[in-house]
Amino acid sequence: MTNFIKNISYSLKKYKFLMCQLVSRDFKVKYKRSALGIVWSLLYPLLTMSVMALVFSHMFKMSLPGVNYLVYLMSGLVIFNYFSEASNLAMSSVVGNFSLINKVYIPKYIFPLSKCLFVGINFLLTLIPLYAIIFLTGTGVNIYHLLLPFAFICLFMFTLGMGFILSTISVFLRDMFYIYGVMITLWTYMTPIMYDFAMIPEQLQFIFKLNPLFWIIYFVRDIILYNQVPGLNVWVYCIVFSVGFLLIGMIIFKKNQDKFIYYV
Amino acid sequence: MDKKDIMIKVENISMRFNLGIEKGFSLKQGFINFFDFKKRKENKNLKKKNEFWALKDVTFEVNKGEVIGFIGSNGAGKSTLLKVVAGVMKPTKGKIEAYGNICPMIELGAGFDPQLTARENIYLNGAVLGYSKELINSKFEEIVEFSELRDFLDVPIQNFSSGMTARLAFSIATIVDPEILIVDEILSVGDIAFQKKSLAKMMEMIKGGTTVLFVSHSLTQIKELCDKAVWLEHGVVQDIGDCKEICKKYEKFANSK
Repeated sequence: MTNFIKNISYSLKKYKFLMCQLVSRDFKVKYKRSALGIVWSLLYPLLTMSVMALVFSHMFKMSLPGVNYLVYLMSGLVIFNYFSEASNLAMSSVVGNFSLINKVYIPKYIFPLSKCLFVGINFLLTLIPLYAIIFLTGTGVNIYHLLLPFAFICLFMFTLGMGFILSTISVFLRDMFYIYGVMITLWTYMTPIMYDFAMIPEQLQFIFKLNPLFWIIYFVRDIILYNQVPGLNVWVYCIVFSVGFLLIGMIIFKKNQDKFIYYV
Repeated sequence: MDKKDIMIKVENISMRFNLGIEKGFSLKQGFINFFDFKKRKENKNLKKKNEFWALKDVTFEVNKGEVIGFIGSNGAGKSTLLKVVAGVMKPTKGKIEAYGNICPMIELGAGFDPQLTARENIYLNGAVLGYSKELINSKFEEIVEFSELRDFLDVPIQNFSSGMTARLAFSIATIVDPEILIVDEILSVGDIAFQKKSLAKMMEMIKGGTTVLFVSHSLTQIKELCDKAVWLEHGVVQDIGDCKEICKKYEKFANSK
């Protein structure tokens, strides 16, 4: 086990520069020739939130007792958007870099990892509009906000694990791109982002609780909306799901990575 | 021979590819085949037929400072062999040991992003090749100088001609002093002037005591550069030995075809 950790830290050190280069490439390419550039990272979640808020609070008259609906919506949206974008990019990262894998030796885990980091930086930027909403709606902050990085780390680990699994499958089965597109749509509605979880019939609630994102969003909302430290069970679910998925993902990826080259 | 002098040791390497059949997998076909027992048997045979051994039981050693050339017809497995040595592919069977850092010049410009400028691509490609930031910083001038692209540093390389891109790639790949250099047909880069320059650069690297694995279809080049040669045909080593002798044998074989 110590050997394993030693290997990882050695390899991370060795490939740190490459990782930085890949992440910065993604940034440069993403905003190339767009007039607003990086401002889009802030504007985009705000605009999506506005559209959803308009639809749900005005047309469906959605509201939650005691909390601000905008903050409720935005906190869920920011988390889910990170997951959906990062897992999607990570899924295509191995297939998309076949030309590289074919030419030089690079540890292949770098591709999903760099995508998750790239979207992670973007995610940190989207916290700015989130906090803007928190202050503007008068929700305010409390000392427990310092616990939020725990949820973000769990989110990162879970997403990276999913990225490993998805990128492996998509090498062997390109249909995965379409299948996952449908899955993510379903996932959006199976996660209480825009509606109140209490609206779900009680006998169905257990399905929703199998969703790791449910617990991460629960953790975040407990702090931001209800000003309280999440219960012990929430902590446990977060850590078990995220570490579990990360480990499964790593094992699947490691077992199959030498075969990737035959499926170019 | 002292054991320390061996730089690369290739032992009984075999490499299997599957031609086509594994490239795509359709659920429908898989489902049908699963229930069709007759076809299942057929498929097994088909799978065997589709197996292609790019390398069969290849063994050789390379000593320090040796320049070794690989010759053989198209599809003989030369490039595959180099890729296996460079660690890009893992061999199906066999073992390979390399003592020293390898600079694989197999296909240049790996990881170039067409949307980025030449300056950005120097860093990106350098990182892909495993260079450190400090190394690239210190050699940046040399790369720019050698590639003769100073005026185009801030132009996205999608606007480059293919010759310009190749020049940039060659310049980045050759700034290191590797212990083992792997070269696959890259001496025909750019215009005549640049070809001369790149050949001179290669010669300089080779004469600096580097161990070189070299693939080329130009026997003149092989004879000029190499001490030893390996002749591959259909993935099997035909002969290993003194460069001139092997070249002669190969020439005879090629002419008799």
